[in-house]
Amino acid sequence: MMQLQPVERQTGWRLFWNTIWARAYPRLIGTFRERSWFFFEALLPVLSTVSYIYVYQAINAPEDYIGFVVIGGSMAAFWLNVLWSMGSQLYWDKDDGNLQLFVLSPAPLMAILLGMAIGGVIMTLSRALVIFVVCSLLFQVEYQTGSLWLLVIVFVVTMAALYGMGMMFSSVFLAAGREVWHFANLLQEPIYLVSGFMFPVKALGFWVASAASLIPLTLGLDAMRQLLFTSDPTIGFLPVGVEILILCVLAVFFIAGAAWMLAKLEEIGRRDGRLIERRR
Amino acid sequence: MTTSSAIEVQQLRRVYKLRGPKRKDAPRELVALESVDLEVKRGELFGLLGPNGAGKTTIIKILATLLLPTSGIARVEGLDVTQHVQAVRERISMVSGGETSGFGLLTIEENLWMFARFYGLDNATARQRIDALLKIVGIYERRTAKISDLSTGLRQKMNFIRGFISDPRVVFLDEPTLGLDVTAAREVRGFVKQWMSDHPERALLLTSHYMSEIDELCDRVAIVDTGKVLACDTPAALKKRLQREAVFQLKVSPIGPRPNREAMIEAVPGVRQVTVTEQDGYSELNLILEAEDALGGVLSHLNGRGSGLIALEKREPTLEDVFISIVGRRLDQDTTQREENGA
Amino acid sequence: MYQTMMNLPLVRRANWLRTFLNAAWLGWQIESNWADPFLFAVYSIARPIASVLILVVMYSVITNGATDQPIFAYIYLGNALYILVGQVVSGVSWTVISDREQYRTVRQLYTTPLDGYFYLMGRGVARLLVGIISLVITVGFGVLAFQLPISLQTVDWLLFTVTMVLGIISLAALGHVMGSITMMTARQIGSVGDAVAGALYLFSGAIFPLDLLPSVLRPIGLIFPATYWLELARRALLGPGYVGFETFAGFSNSHLLLILLVATLLLLVASIYTYRWAFNRARETGFFDMETNF
Repeated sequence: MMQLQPVERQTGWRLFWNTIWARAYPRLIGTFRERSWFFFEALLPVLSTVSYIYVYQAINAPEDYIGFVVIGGSMAAFWLNVLWSMGSQLYWDKDDGNLQLFVLSPAPLMAILLGMAIGGVIMTLSRALVIFVVCSLLFQVEYQTGSLWLLVIVFVVTMAALYGMGMMFSSVFLAAGREVWHFANLLQEPIYLVSGFMFPVKALGFWVASAASLIPLTLGLDAMRQLLFTSDPTIGFLPVGVEILILCVLAVFFIAGAAWMLAKLEEIGRRDGRLIERRR
Repeated sequence: MTTSSAIEVQQLRRVYKLRGPKRKDAPRELVALESVDLEVKRGELFGLLGPNGAGKTTIIKILATLLLPTSGIARVEGLDVTQHVQAVRERISMVSGGETSGFGLLTIEENLWMFARFYGLDNATARQRIDALLKIVGIYERRTAKISDLSTGLRQKMNFIRGFISDPRVVFLDEPTLGLDVTAAREVRGFVKQWMSDHPERALLLTSHYMSEIDELCDRVAIVDTGKVLACDTPAALKKRLQREAVFQLKVSPIGPRPNREAMIEAVPGVRQVTVTEQDGYSELNLILEAEDALGGVLSHLNGRGSGLIALEKREPTLEDVFISIVGRRLDQDTTQREENGA
Repeated sequence: MYQTMMNLPLVRRANWLRTFLNAAWLGWQIESNWADPFLFAVYSIARPIASVLILVVMYSVITNGATDQPIFAYIYLGNALYILVGQVVSGVSWTVISDREQYRTVRQLYTTPLDGYFYLMGRGVARLLVGIISLVITVGFGVLAFQLPISLQTVDWLLFTVTMVLGIISLAALGHVMGSITMMTARQIGSVGDAVAGALYLFSGAIFPLDLLPSVLRPIGLIFPATYWLELARRALLGPGYVGFETFAGFSNSHLLLILLVATLLLLVASIYTYRWAFNRARETGFFDMETNF
C-alpha cells in the first residue's frame, strides 16, 4: 500500500470557517450542475408574481403597487428556500445518513448549519434576481436608488435574521420528524399573507403587522419598499432605521437560538438514540 | 486505565425507551446492553461477533459519541466518550455497511473533500489524501462520477475512503462489507489488513456477520449476544476450546421440519450441540460431541426416525462452531425483535 | 415455512381497477392524517384561507373593501376553485417524488405488474377529497365573511356538476402529464406539477380576467381545459348574478361546455401517451432510482 502520511488537523475557528464553506459547496455547485432550477425556481415564480400584478391592474391600483409585488415575489424565493431547503434539510440529511456523520465528525454543527445558510442565500440570490429583473423589465417598474447603501444594509440584516430563523427551524423540524412537511406547509401561504409579500404590511393593522414582524421578511420587505418607492411615503409600517434595528436584534436572537437548539437537539439525540440516526 | 488501551468499556449498559404506536402508550424498556466489559489495545484489530440485535451496533454508537450509555464507562484513547466528546470525535471515524451518505449531486472526490474539511484537513492535504486513497482503493478513474450514479460497491468503497481520510486513531467498521460482492469485500479486507500493519499504534473495531471475515482479520474477538459479552479471546484460542470435543458435519436424508428436532438429537448422550439446516434433497447436521463415540448414538437416533446417512465428515472447529457452542444457536438465527427495537 | 406458504390463496393478478382502488386506499392512508385536527387546520383551513386572504387584502387596500363588485367574486371564486388545481396537478408530481425519494418505494412499485397510470390516479383521489373540503370551506368563508353572492337556490347545479366532473378529469390528466415529466427530473424546491399549477394561475385567468393578458399570451390559456372549467364553474355558482368579462362574453354555457369536453378528452389521450413515454424513458435513464440532495 502507498504510505499515507499522518495529517495535521485544523481546529477551532479555522475548522469552523472551513466547515462553513465545505457545507455551502454542494449548494453552490448545485446551481451550476442541476440547471432545472432556472425553470422551477426563477421562471415559474415570475409567472405567479405576474398574476398578482394583473390583479392590481384589474382593480386599477397605483403604479407603485406593481413594484411592491415585484419586490415581494422576488423575496418570496428566500422564504421558500428557508422553509424547504433550510428548515427541512437536517431532516433530509438524517434520512440520507449524513446527519450522523456530521455529528460524529469534529466539525461544529453550527458551522454546518451556517454553511447551509450561506450556500442557500447565494443560491437563492440568483433566483430572486431573475424574478426581480424579469418582472421589473416586463412591467417597466421604476425604482428610486437614492439610498442604495441603506438598501444593501437592509438586505444583509434581513438575510442574517431570516437564515438565522431558518437555522432554528432546522432543529425544530428535525425534532418534528415526518411532520416536517406540515410545519413547512403551515408556514408558506399564511406567512405570505401576514408578512405582506403582495401588499404593504401596514394594511393589516398595527397589531397584526407587529406580530408578523417576528418573521424577518416582514420588516425587510417593508423597509425595502420604503427605500425603493417614493410616491406614497405613508405606506411604511415603521421608520426604516427602527426596522433595521429590530432586524439586527432578530438576527442575534435567531442565530443564538439556533445554536442553543442545536446543542439541545444533539443532547436529546444522544440520549434517546433516535433524533440523529437514520431509521426507517 | 492504561495508556495502551485504545478502547476501554466497563460495565456498559444501555436501555432504550420504546414508545408504542400511539402517543398515549407508556414507553417500554429494552435492554440493548446488559453489562459489557471490553478492552481493545492499540495496534489491535478487534472483532465483535453476534447476531442481529445482539448489541454490537449499540456499543459502536456509544463509542462513536452518537449515543449516551445508560450507565457504565466507555473510553476512547483514554477519553471518556460522555465527557470529552469533541476530543473523541477528533480521533475516530466510522463506516457502516449500506451507507447512503453524501450529496447526490457531488462527485466522489467532491464528497470526500467535503468530509475531509469537516475533519479539519487543509485543502492541499485533503486533495492529496483523496487522490492517494482513491488509487489505493482502485476507484481513482471514477473520481468524477456523481454519487447518485454509483453502484452499491462503489459507494461503499467511497464510504471506506471517507472513514480513513482523516487519519483516525480509532476506526469503527460496522458491517463494512455488507452487500458487497466477493471481490469488493476481499479488496476491503485487504485494505483493512494493510492499514493496520502500516499503523501499528492505531486500533480498529469491526462488527461483522461473516465469521470468515472476523476469523481472517481480527486479532481478538468478543462474542456478543443479548447485550452481553459471552466470550473474548483470539480466534485461535476460541477454536482451541472446542478441540477437546469432536466436530462432525453430517449429510442425511431429509429429516423434515419437525418440531424440536435439534432438542431430540441433543438428548442423545454425548451430544453437546447440534444445528440442522435443510438443503436441497438432504439435511445438514453440524454436531459438537463430547467424544467421538457419541456419534453411533446419533446415527441410530436418525435411523430410528427414518433418516439415512449420506455423508460424514470430521472437521476442525470453526468460529461458527465456537459461536454455536457458546450461544446455543447459529449466527443467522437472529434476535430480530431486538434489532427492530434499535439494539 | 414453505408448507405454510403453499396454503395461501392463489395470487390474483392486478388489473387497472384493483390498482386504482389499492392506490386510492394507500393515498388515503398517507393523506388521511389530515383527519388530525392540527393537520386539518393546516391543509384545509390555514393554507387556502391565507391564500385567498392575500387577494382580499390586496383588493381591499385599493378599493377600500368594496367586495360587492363583480370583480371581487371573480377573483375570490377563481382562487378558491384553484385549490383543486394545486391538489390534483401538483399532487401527482409529489406522489412520484415522495415514492422515489421519501418512501423509496418506486423500485418495488414499478416492478410489480400494477398499471402505473391508474396507480397515480388512485393516489390522487385522497388529495382531491382534501381539495374539495378546502374548496367548500373557502367558498363558505367567502359567503359568510364577504357576502359572496352565492345562494343554494340560484346555483345551476346541473351545470356545476357536469363542469366539476369534466374539470377534475382534465386536472387529473394534466397531473399525469406532470407526474410523467417528474419521473425524469431531480427534486427541486417545487415539483413540475407545482410549476404548471403556477403557470396556469396566470394563463387560465384564475384571479384576473383574461382580457388583461397581452393578446399574444391569451391563446396559451385558451388551450387548457382549466380555463373553461373555471369560467363555467363561476357561472354555475353565481347563477343569474354572474357578470362576465370580455374574453368569454360571446360564449354560451353549452358552447363552453363543449370546448371543455373536447379539450379534456384530448388531454386525457395525451396524458396516457406521455406516461408511457416517460415510463420507458425513466427506465432507460435509470431515473427511478434517483435521489437528489444538495
